[in-house]
Amino acid sequence: MDCNTCDSAPAVQIHVPAVVSAMLTITDKAKEMLNGAFGEDRSQALLVGVLSGGCSGYMYDLQVVESTEQDCQELMIDGFRVLIPNATSHLLDGIEIDYVDRLMGGGFKINNPNASSSCGCGESFA
Amino acid sequence: MGVVSLDGYVLIVNGKNAIAFINGLSTNKIEGSCTTVFTNSVAKVIDMVDVIDMDSFIALVGHGPNKKALLSHLIPRILGQDVQISDASESNSVLLSTENLDVQEGVTKVHTFRGWLIVSPNGKEPTITMNESEFTDWRIENMIPHPGYEITNANHPYACGLSHLVHEDKGCYIGQEILARMKSRGRQGKELIRETNPVSDATSVGSTHSLAIRKC
Repeated sequence: MDCNTCDSAPAVQIHVPAVVSAMLTITDKAKEMLNGAFGEDRSQALLVGVLSGGCSGYMYDLQVVESTEQDCQELMIDGFRVLIPNATSHLLDGIEIDYVDRLMGGGFKINNPNASSSCGCGESFA
Repeated sequence: MGVVSLDGYVLIVNGKNAIAFINGLSTNKIEGSCTTVFTNSVAKVIDMVDVIDMDSFIALVGHGPNKKALLSHLIPRILGQDVQISDASESNSVLLSTENLDVQEGVTKVHTFRGWLIVSPNGKEPTITMNESEFTDWRIENMIPHPGYEITNANHPYACGLSHLVHEDKGCYIGQEILARMKSRGRQGKELIRETNPVSDATSVGSTHSLAIRKC
């Protein structure tokens, strides 16, 4: 393979979905658990993102962060600062963040009206 | 045996997330050059792809008719990652050699389970020394499945003889749950076989033997 040849190869057109002003809700149980995670320090934010991969093609990415390099929209929901990356806002609009209290498979769960299917563990969706 | 021309595409994938991106969507563990399979949500093959690590980028070399389907699979999943894809298919030829032959400068050669895969800028190709029927006989003799014959979107990787490209310990990818279930339950459904002619359900017909995919 000639790298000069490769450099001149035409770029594949990549359709970038339009940025959506995402709306999301947090259930009472999830708020209770987030309160425990954040404590009094509300300078931190909950980053709700999507990565490619997982059994169904997309994986949720939930992190508590000070800031991020990603281009995000910031929401204030019941006193929590929530960051949604613009690149994945179309996949996250309308989600509900829930917390499931179970010994196995418990933890934060995302109910997503945009998902046509999800894998057994609930971390991946399509 | 010799050198045969393949109907192949060459996609160039750039960006710091390129390897992680391909690794997260295919069956093999991508740590450098290797062969992997992209599968859909029901674990059927989208395409078998040779990944060539060229240091500054990776090249994906697959079966020409499957290029559109693979791009449709990859592009929506780039999201905000540092991944760029370009298409170098028009300016390169894809060949397969059954032997390790010397190639001109600028021609890429990697060893795969099928033989030596050669990606050559147009005009620098090695001489083709094997015709289609000779290649088919060689494939059948060595039980090597081929795109469009055994490797199709009607089959999952285990059925078409690509189980060695399914890494059992890597994380999730599309189709992984189904393949893992097949493996753990010992139920792969179908398998690649070779039989003496005539074979009524052959996927590749050679001069004396054929390949077929049959329930096991």
